[in-house]
Amino acid sequence: MILKRTSNLSRQKFPTQNLGYLYDLLRSLVDRDMKLMYKRSALGIAWTLISPLLQLLVFVFVFQVVIKIDIPQYSSYVFTGLLVWNWFQNSLFQATGIIISSRPLIRQPGFPTVILPVVVVTTGLIHFVLALPVLFVFLLIDGVKFTPILLALPLLQLIQFAVTVTFSYFLASLNVTFRDTQHTLGVLLQFLFYLTPIFYELGNIPPRYWFIYGLNPMVHIVTCYRQILMWGTQPDWLALLIISGITLLFLPIGYRLFKYQSLRFVEEI
Amino acid sequence: MGTAILVENLGKRFDRYHTAKPATLMEAALTGLGRIKPIEDFWALRGVSFEVAEGEMLGVIGHNGAGKSTLLQVLGKVAHPNEGRIKMRGRIGALLDLGAGFHGDLTGRENVFVTAIVGGLPRREVARRFDQIVAFAELEAFIDNPVRTYSSGMMMRLAFSVAVHTDPKVLLVDEFLSVGDLSFQSKCLNRIADMKEQGCAIVLVSHDVGQVERLCDRALWLKQGTVVAYGEPAVVAGQYTMEMRSQTQQRTPQRPPQLTQMGMELRVNENRFGSQDIEITDVRLKPKSTIKSGDLLCVEVDYKTHQPLDSAIFSITISQENGAPCLDVNTLDMGIPYIRLQEEGTIRLTLDRLDLVGGFYFVNVGIYQQDWSYAYDYHWHVYPLTIDATLSSKAAGVLCPPMRWEAANSEVNAIVQPLKSCSWHSK
Repeated sequence: MILKRTSNLSRQKFPTQNLGYLYDLLRSLVDRDMKLMYKRSALGIAWTLISPLLQLLVFVFVFQVVIKIDIPQYSSYVFTGLLVWNWFQNSLFQATGIIISSRPLIRQPGFPTVILPVVVVTTGLIHFVLALPVLFVFLLIDGVKFTPILLALPLLQLIQFAVTVTFSYFLASLNVTFRDTQHTLGVLLQFLFYLTPIFYELGNIPPRYWFIYGLNPMVHIVTCYRQILMWGTQPDWLALLIISGITLLFLPIGYRLFKYQSLRFVEEI
Repeated sequence: MGTAILVENLGKRFDRYHTAKPATLMEAALTGLGRIKPIEDFWALRGVSFEVAEGEMLGVIGHNGAGKSTLLQVLGKVAHPNEGRIKMRGRIGALLDLGAGFHGDLTGRENVFVTAIVGGLPRREVARRFDQIVAFAELEAFIDNPVRTYSSGMMMRLAFSVAVHTDPKVLLVDEFLSVGDLSFQSKCLNRIADMKEQGCAIVLVSHDVGQVERLCDRALWLKQGTVVAYGEPAVVAGQYTMEMRSQTQQRTPQRPPQLTQMGMELRVNENRFGSQDIEITDVRLKPKSTIKSGDLLCVEVDYKTHQPLDSAIFSITISQENGAPCLDVNTLDMGIPYIRLQEEGTIRLTLDRLDLVGGFYFVNVGIYQQDWSYAYDYHWHVYPLTIDATLSSKAAGVLCPPMRWEAANSEVNAIVQPLKSCSWHSK
């Protein structure tokens, strides 16, 4: 029933919806979010780096000093995983509450609400890109040799971008009906963090659990990042293809659901 | 002129949910999903049709809950109609909850950019008009300070300025005249007039019938989601005011004339109006119903409630014999929004001094429903008040304050004695 009604909605075209304007809008909203994030902090944008570096420190201490895990180039390995994961986690977490927290924007006539999760994920992407130079320093220290396959990085980011936006649409929509989605998500994301090979090796997962473990798209995405950044091998194209296919299928559904739910939220009396 | 807004047979339905509708995933998991479905629906708008031409202003009036805000939402496409259709030409701008989109930590400049781009202007246009926007809001000196340091008036001015500089073809306004001080309000009105001239179609939602009558080219009266009248503002406003009055009359139950404790006869629909949910049982003027001008007057109103009611507005007016009002006060306007009603109680209004010219007056007492929609009880020209003063009401004025004549030259400062001290002559 929801879909039948939303198909009605998606037909309505906003007069201002051309690409140049959308770019302006995205830019100004991302700009606003970045400014708001660091306005009152002395260290400002440096926080983007400090927090994953601290996390890295913890993991290196625990798994190299306390419990020995034998993974070559461990700091590069963990830092790659952390950056990728943090982008995913922070974006999802923020995007989930986005309908509720953007009421004045949604009430603005003609405002393309569906841009909101894109703003959140773009902000995350900028942080990710800002941290890349540090990652490259780690890679160089660990003696990694860069190969041309590195050029696939933007493609990989694009796929992760689409996956995150798709998840965001569904979660933000759910959060309108059930306001505790955000809290529940915090717990779930922590689970998912441990179910993603960020500080351990994929090979440690017994094969009989693979069919369920492999369902987590972040498992493949994190691995692909390592393949092109650290190991200089071809990424797992099949996995990426499947993930892209599923995303392309669900993105329009999430898009419509989000649009429907944000309208419903404003209508609520 | 072309049509800017065309609305045909518009209907908007809302769902009412079970009061125990689960609001969290946890609750939903525990109680099951059965309660998520709405239990009933109602139409907030039904069969609404109208047209606004370019450069025209439509005023929408009606009581609270008549569907005015819903209409604005549907026009702004932030709510989707269930029936009918809307055709609109051009970009829609809105003056609704002004300043709500501002972020306190950002400077005025940053907020202007975000808000104007969100409002539909491309970045380059915002940069071009930036100075104009700031100048209109009269905030040149503060534009680089964080908005959290602004007063609410400054914030409203800035928000208004941004909204009217985005060049909308259609402007939706919700009670806009409360922006800033009087001089800024007239500036806003001028700006609105300019926009009209340039072909902007405006929809104004207002409680103020007079405002609609003054400003609008057409008026639409909504009642419980349907159109009661649509047309000339003066006519619609007149009908609306009439209905307000007749609502009170309709609600006035028929009952035989009663006598007040002072022996005046109370006749329904002649000098007594209202639904009688609350009844005025007695009105006493203290110290006496004849006082000297400048003396203290206390009006005590005894009432009796026949129904449990939350609150009400008490109103007292003093009028001359011919009905001309001299004083009109009520509890709501004097900042008392809530009065705890007892089953039987007394409300007292004390006028520390009443400087009226001598003559005969009436004290009129009313108790009204909380949004003024009708009277519970209203006694008109029932309680006489006589005022003694040296100035009599035969003169044109109504005031008789303590006063004296003096020549600016101090040597002749006692030409006329203060009037008050003359009053012994009349004894």
